Amino acid sequence: MIRVEHLYKSFDGVPVLKDISVGYEAGKCNMIIGKSGSGKTVLLKNIMGLMEPDSGEVWYGDSRLSAMSYQERNSFRRNIGVLFQGSAIFDFATVLENVMFPMEFFTDWTREQKVERARFCLERVEVLNAEDKYPSELSGGMQKRVGIARAIALNPSFLFCDEPNSGLDPHTSILIDQLISELTKEYNMTTIVNTHDMNSILEIGDRISYIDEGRLLWQGSKDNLLTTDCTELQDFLRSNTLLRDRVK
Amino acid sequence: MIRNFFEAIGRYTLFLGMVFRKPEKWRIFWRQSVLEADKLILSSILIVSVISVFIGGVLVIQTASNMQNPLLDRMYVGYMVRESLVLEFCSTMVALILAGKMGSNIASEIGSMRISEQIDAMDMMGINSAGYLVLPKIISSVLLSPFLMLLSMALGILGGYVVVELTEIIPTAKYVSGLRYSFNGFYIFYSCFKMSLFCFFISSISAFNGYYARGGSLGVGWSSTRSIVVASILILMFDLIVTQLMLY
Repeated sequence: MIRVEHLYKSFDGVPVLKDISVGYEAGKCNMIIGKSGSGKTVLLKNIMGLMEPDSGEVWYGDSRLSAMSYQERNSFRRNIGVLFQGSAIFDFATVLENVMFPMEFFTDWTREQKVERARFCLERVEVLNAEDKYPSELSGGMQKRVGIARAIALNPSFLFCDEPNSGLDPHTSILIDQLISELTKEYNMTTIVNTHDMNSILEIGDRISYIDEGRLLWQGSKDNLLTTDCTELQDFLRSNTLLRDRVK
Repeated sequence: MIRNFFEAIGRYTLFLGMVFRKPEKWRIFWRQSVLEADKLILSSILIVSVISVFIGGVLVIQTASNMQNPLLDRMYVGYMVRESLVLEFCSTMVALILAGKMGSNIASEIGSMRISEQIDAMDMMGINSAGYLVLPKIISSVLLSPFLMLLSMALGILGGYVVVELTEIIPTAKYVSGLRYSFNGFYIFYSCFKMSLFCFFISSISAFNGYYARGGSLGVGWSSTRSIVVASILILMFDLIVTQLMLY
């Protein structure tokens, strides 16, 4: 369970997040949706601890992120897996080495054990026969899969995905979405997905938060999404051609 | 501008604080240091060797042509060449060359990792990215650059010898006796110290600029250019300071 309380963040005096309070449940795909520039990525980075909020708190269960020391935060981050927008897999390492990377630092396993675990993760995301390839030799979809395999390598309790479908074709997008959803249930992770892809939202979103101009305007399940009274959200949903007639 | 200058110094100091934290695993740190030594120092041997040989040759010709006075013993050509190489060329000039080669390499490598979120990915794994990426570069360049300087010294003197042999601009025996005349071993230590200090500036400043690169590929290019300019200015400034402190 992750809780965000009264989060404010501004850049050079320009407010980007304004009093965001929201909760994210374990074992569910929690979606942060909103237009480009609405503050989704800034919110996600504040939750992950990659940015420091001006005020407000982020709680992971009973642990307050801002109260953690540098060492505590680093130890805690071993429970977190992140899939970045551009995959962010390391150019200097092969696919197998990328997945083994966190294990090298935080486990005392033998090389055989690390290779075995890395191969298991790669098989789980259906990346086969590519373990010796470098990221530049992989397609965008494959890079995302390797990113997911690396994120789950140490069995994290929290999974954060920033625009997991950006730059992918619709078919691969669905596969990535399904993979995120399956892994969330399988490992009972608290997953937060930052997206503006309506297919993803309707496909895997268990709980959805809508952000507009730095404010949280709506939160609910996908069943209530299309019948919302929030006019900003209605406008956002109507911008999708397929949903135009389905929104209340 | 003054505020920016002091802000940059403050950030650089904090950055060094992150870099010099205890590595997560010493085994990984030493492995990285060996890889960096290969990438930064060993790969510079060729360019340093070529330049040293030619500069040694040129120094002989220039010195000989400026010492035509029959009252001056021709042995002093060898002496002057040795002193020029040991005191200035092999540390300062080689460091300036390395500022271009090594500095742009480090800044662009780390800068690309920053803009493709690979550094964020490392941080989110709980790894001290600054320590992992930068400390091995600083250690290997500071420890091994004096050897590069000694090689440059030897090759510069050899270059001079080859020119003396081929052109007979001065008698070979005079050149050799000049090389051996009034040798002060402290100058070698002084040069090694300068080289290590300069390489500390090159590696840390380039890494600092790359680590905080912003604005896509343009930002990476800018950080690389800034690294070379700042490192070159610092090398010349500290050349003066160290020389005043150690030789006068």
